[in-house]
Amino acid sequence: MTEVVVAPVLVGLVTAIVCLAVRRWPRLGRAVSLVGAVGYLLAVAALVRAVAGDPDGVLVYALGGWPAPFGIVLVADALSAVFLALSAVVSLAAVVYANRFVDGAGQRLSYHPLYHMMLVGVTGAFLTGDIFNLFVWFEVMLLSSYVLVVFYSGPEHTRAALQYTILNLVASAVMLLAIGGLYATLGTLNMADMARRLAAPQQYGVEPAVVLGLGGLLLAVFALKAGLVPFQFWVPDAYRAAPAPVTAVLAGVVKKVGVYAVIRVYFTVLGGGAVADPLLGDGAFLAYFGPLLLAMAAGSILLGGVGALGQDDLSGLLSYSSIGQVGFIILPLGVGALVPAVRELAIVAAVVYSINHGLAKGLLFLVAGAVQASTETLEFDRLGGLTGSEPLLSGAFFVGGLALVGIPPLTGFFGKLLVFDVGSAALGPAPTLGAFALALALGGAILTIAYVSLAWSRGFWGATGPAVGRARAEPRFVAVAAVLALAVVAFGVGFEPVYAASTDAARAALDSSGYVEAVLGGGGA
Amino acid sequence: MTEYVLAVVLGLLVALGTFLVLRRDVVRVVWGVTILSQSANVYLVTMGGVSVGGGIPIVGATTDPATVTDPLVQALVLTAIVIGFGTTAFALVLTYRVYEEHGTVDLAELGRGDSGPDPTGEAPRGMLEETAPEEPAPDEGVATDD
Repeated sequence: MTEVVVAPVLVGLVTAIVCLAVRRWPRLGRAVSLVGAVGYLLAVAALVRAVAGDPDGVLVYALGGWPAPFGIVLVADALSAVFLALSAVVSLAAVVYANRFVDGAGQRLSYHPLYHMMLVGVTGAFLTGDIFNLFVWFEVMLLSSYVLVVFYSGPEHTRAALQYTILNLVASAVMLLAIGGLYATLGTLNMADMARRLAAPQQYGVEPAVVLGLGGLLLAVFALKAGLVPFQFWVPDAYRAAPAPVTAVLAGVVKKVGVYAVIRVYFTVLGGGAVADPLLGDGAFLAYFGPLLLAMAAGSILLGGVGALGQDDLSGLLSYSSIGQVGFIILPLGVGALVPAVRELAIVAAVVYSINHGLAKGLLFLVAGAVQASTETLEFDRLGGLTGSEPLLSGAFFVGGLALVGIPPLTGFFGKLLVFDVGSAALGPAPTLGAFALALALGGAILTIAYVSLAWSRGFWGATGPAVGRARAEPRFVAVAAVLALAVVAFGVGFEPVYAASTDAARAALDSSGYVEAVLGGGGA
Repeated sequence: MTEYVLAVVLGLLVALGTFLVLRRDVVRVVWGVTILSQSANVYLVTMGGVSVGGGIPIVGATTDPATVTDPLVQALVLTAIVIGFGTTAFALVLTYRVYEEHGTVDLAELGRGDSGPDPTGEAPRGMLEETAPEEPAPDEGVATDD
């Protein structure tokens, strides 16, 4: 029964290989890619159902039959399930879109195998229960994304890819150092085993202070993946350079791998750790990581918002907005790390905001791609008045923009609401912190309103720009954007199940002992 | 003794890697990154416990389990080396491609953006038509092979 855990990885892998084998026949390749993406969605749906139906809510699959902690295990719980579902939805939309968007030469040039390999890496990262295996999945994901960023290989694409590649290669080396250190300190690579040993440091002869430092090193790596300040340099160039459907997945899904890793590693695995002689708070690890997360969130929200206002092209604006929005995801996590009373609510907020950002930003980048394809520019000076010529596409953009701003009844409203809720709930136990979080969220929300209105009024409203009106957007692009826009509305109107799934995810993320028990069970040494 | 030698070697490797990463020449940056990831590998091996006379991890071959060298880190390093091989090859190809597109591998010139077309200009992005994906290098005129 637990084979269902490995199903999404296998579906992705098989799709990638078959796509590679049939790339001489583009039409067949497109069909295989589409079938693979649908299959991936079905596999994820089966996994989500299985996780929901499981009494513990944690499914464990031991690869090769080697029991944890000796072998590598894939672990699916409610947190993995939510992120997988998000990636399945966004990636299917991106495949449908890419089949038309990427030209024949591009499709022959192995667009689809790369795309599905990236998805395999993402899936593995969401599922793995082994910290070194997490590194391997990161590499699988990154290696494909390097090539996808440089896909058009023009001057600015090569430059963006160079930046992206070098930064991530250095991050990989850092991650390897951190993992090596953690292994030497904790004596295990299995995340559940790490959590168990950290909970009883004397028994296992673990020095928690060393783990704390190495955890900080890992945080830098995850922050780079999530594009948080001060590791955000690669984001705008890489997002501009990659083909629109890839950017939609990079912003919507790949960034969330960083977010997921932060939640999983710092709340589930290292959450139980504490140093004996505390410098900060009660010495719990989260009391140290909290301020770091808050600082990165604050920097991202402000830099992303202000940066977005300073852009004069749509994709630049969306890229900076993406930095700011990930700040909004990390902000409640920082508060939750410092105030145990709001921790569960904080993770719910982060998960709901991730879902909203994944859908809305994916949608916005796909709209930007459609505009680029028909007008051949994304500069605001040459756009304008798209509402007249492209009402449906503009409507989809409008919905996505409103979701970023957080207007009811869209998902974005609940994301923002929960972030504010975390801030106000923290006001009781930690007044300064709560006020800081509220002020930051408010400032960020105002910046979001400002840049969304800027994009709307300069790109879509007003007098018809010189580049607008000559060509119509592809019907398929409009259709995909419209479907995603409907999803944003539908998830907002029918918010109950989304909220329930996010609450389950937060409980799973915080239920460290349940995770340990499910993975190590009776077989753990 | 071995530990001290390895610690010094590791320090030197990381220092050298960092120094190279900070150069202006892209090729040196790539070498720097390669050396950094290799030093991470050496570090991983040392984390498995290096001791002269350490036993091999085979049942029956060792007398004292406490002196056995950890084989797991070596498996990890093997994985990391394979990944590093792939990424280094890609980074070098990318460097060559950057040179073809910009006519330079000087990061300062690349950063100024004066070597290529306008960064926000006409990029082959919305590729609905069959546009040729490759262009000749600006001042080299080298034809790119497909």
